Amino acid sequence: MYRVAGVISALVILLGATCSPAVAQDKTITVFAAASMKNALDDIDAAYTAKTGVRIVTSYAASPALAKQIEQGAPADVFVSADTDWMDYAVGKKTIDEPTRVNLLGNSLVLIAPKDSTIDHVNIGPGFDLAKLAADGKIVTADVKSVPVGKYAMASLQKLGSWQAAEPKFAMTENVRAALALVARGEAAFGIVYSTDAKVEPGVKIVGTFPADSHPAIIYPVAATTTAKPETSNYLAFLRSTAAKIILEKYGFKFLVSPTT
Amino acid sequence: MLRVDIVKQLGEFSLEASFESQGRVTGLFGASGAGKTSLINLIAGLLKPDRGIIALDGETLDDTAAGVHVPPHRRRIGYVFQDARLFPHLDIRQNLDYGRRMNRLADDPAQRTRVTELLDIGNLLDRRPGKLSGGERQRVALGRALLSKPKLLLLDEPLGSLDEGRKEEILPYLMRLRDEANVPMVYVSHDAAEMRQLATQIVMLQRGRVTAFGGAKVLIGSPSPA
Amino acid sequence: MFDISPTEWTAILLSLRVAVIATLVATPLGIALAWLLARRDFRGKPLVDALVHLPLVLPPVVTGYLLLLTFGRRGAVGGWLADHLGIVFAFRWTGAALACGIMSFPLLVRPIRLSIEAVDRRLEQAAATLGAPPWRVFATVTLPLALPGVLAGMVLGFAKAIGEFGATITFVSNIPGETQTISSAIYSLIQTPDGDPAAARLVVVSIVIAMGALIASEWFARRATQRLHGN
Repeated sequence: MYRVAGVISALVILLGATCSPAVAQDKTITVFAAASMKNALDDIDAAYTAKTGVRIVTSYAASPALAKQIEQGAPADVFVSADTDWMDYAVGKKTIDEPTRVNLLGNSLVLIAPKDSTIDHVNIGPGFDLAKLAADGKIVTADVKSVPVGKYAMASLQKLGSWQAAEPKFAMTENVRAALALVARGEAAFGIVYSTDAKVEPGVKIVGTFPADSHPAIIYPVAATTTAKPETSNYLAFLRSTAAKIILEKYGFKFLVSPTT
Repeated sequence: MLRVDIVKQLGEFSLEASFESQGRVTGLFGASGAGKTSLINLIAGLLKPDRGIIALDGETLDDTAAGVHVPPHRRRIGYVFQDARLFPHLDIRQNLDYGRRMNRLADDPAQRTRVTELLDIGNLLDRRPGKLSGGERQRVALGRALLSKPKLLLLDEPLGSLDEGRKEEILPYLMRLRDEANVPMVYVSHDAAEMRQLATQIVMLQRGRVTAFGGAKVLIGSPSPA
Repeated sequence: MFDISPTEWTAILLSLRVAVIATLVATPLGIALAWLLARRDFRGKPLVDALVHLPLVLPPVVTGYLLLLTFGRRGAVGGWLADHLGIVFAFRWTGAALACGIMSFPLLVRPIRLSIEAVDRRLEQAAATLGAPPWRVFATVTLPLALPGVLAGMVLGFAKAIGEFGATITFVSNIPGETQTISSAIYSLIQTPDGDPAAARLVVVSIVIAMGALIASEWFARRATQRLHGN
């Protein structure tokens, strides 16, 4: 029995020792990006790696989670936030290389429902009664107190006069993609996410768009961190390039700066 | 020469024993619960006395006044337990060799042969304790203790857990041990017949007190258990 | 269906590495504590016992948060380690291993403690009379007899370590290739549109590893009984 245990142990140790971490520290850039960036940024990263050979490792999560992780010393080179508040927070904590900051992208806020919902189209304007629309179902979005999409949602509903009645029906998730997934699975009657999220999830349909003037402008700032590797400036330049613009607009993002090259 | 002069509280009564023994085999005789096992556990160092002195061949093993207590593993006192206590994860050969290794003694094949022949355990060497009979285990336990080359050998009712047939079988080995092995022994038993055959000096123990000390004559009038 | 993508492979290999290291490092400490709890009585014993079992009952996120406060780059211990010894736990696989090791520790210690308690103290006494000092009694008698329990504990601890999620994601977050274990990968995948097939594959892998570990643990435990009866 000890022989068997010995052999198994040796194999396991060998396995553990020989698999080096997939992140080779030199030719890799670590990006912390808001969850709503996932599909678009994956494509951009692939294009960048194909062009330069530098690997991009991206961690997607809600902007507040990422900002706090960076504050705690997480080894990120780039931070892409879904609102300016959390970038400002990171700047305040002295983790951002300010001159590199660019307000790169815009987005719009939409109301979604599961694909097979009986609701197809809703007019969202002043006096919009979300609570009545939702009836017994739940409305999901990310935490309205901290996550950008939730904050935009609450601001918009407050401006439209719907928030108070609708609030009890809200279920909050940790990030926008979790909310998206819940609607796609039919667990919630409605969700509030970005139009770019709805575009990549075939299980949901957009039933209404929140007026742009009902919430603060949706702006995605991008910046390098104070601990960024030198290669990062190349990557940031790539994000501003025409190639990146094409990809991002394909996914529905608004490109807020003039593309370089 | 074994010198014992101790007091130890044992639950309901206290053990007070004071004697000096020169004999080849010192018997500790008394009824169950008289304190015999506690006494040899004290000699082995597995128990500490409350007060007193234990010395072997002039070397102090316990001295409560001076704060001395030599731990069991340094006393060079072998112990044959009533329940053999062979190591189940080792075979007989390894069990026998254990004491030599722990005491870092040189390999002594001649002695090993002598002991295995004395106790007739040569054919058991490759077996595991679990596969031995009670009598065989007891003989191996004797061999294991002997091969650690002790200055004193303690035996706690080694025949106690055996039936009459087995006892008849082992008793001769014990007598050979006494005559040929050259190690003083302290032999615990509640059986007067055994005592008479083996012991040269007898300590009688009753409820923690030494009530007699001398040759076999102190046993006169003591019954053998049914 | 069974094409495993690079992301999934990375997560599987990382999980294995983290769990193996966590188990190997935790085991000597686990044996020491198990022996202490099994064989010694001392003033703070109930407290030590409680502390050993704490990760089992604390919400994993709490454990992860406490780890962040203590071993994070700005934490009391973590800061010192990073500055003086260059050892970094936060957001590194080493931190994942630390989190997994702590969370699996109670499951490691328990079977070891039980198997040490089951070792007949009379055998240890016999060993002492044969000249073995306490540490040799442990090495030559107690540990070999307790070994199947040690192995069972290690396997159980390993299974827990490879499945750990809450403490890990709180302490070292979810960085692919560095701290994204099987659990965090599944967590990310179920939030990704059409990530379900990949998630399902990883779920199968998780179940296979966990079942394998449980069966192995049982097997070792059964061998324990056989061995003590001298087979």
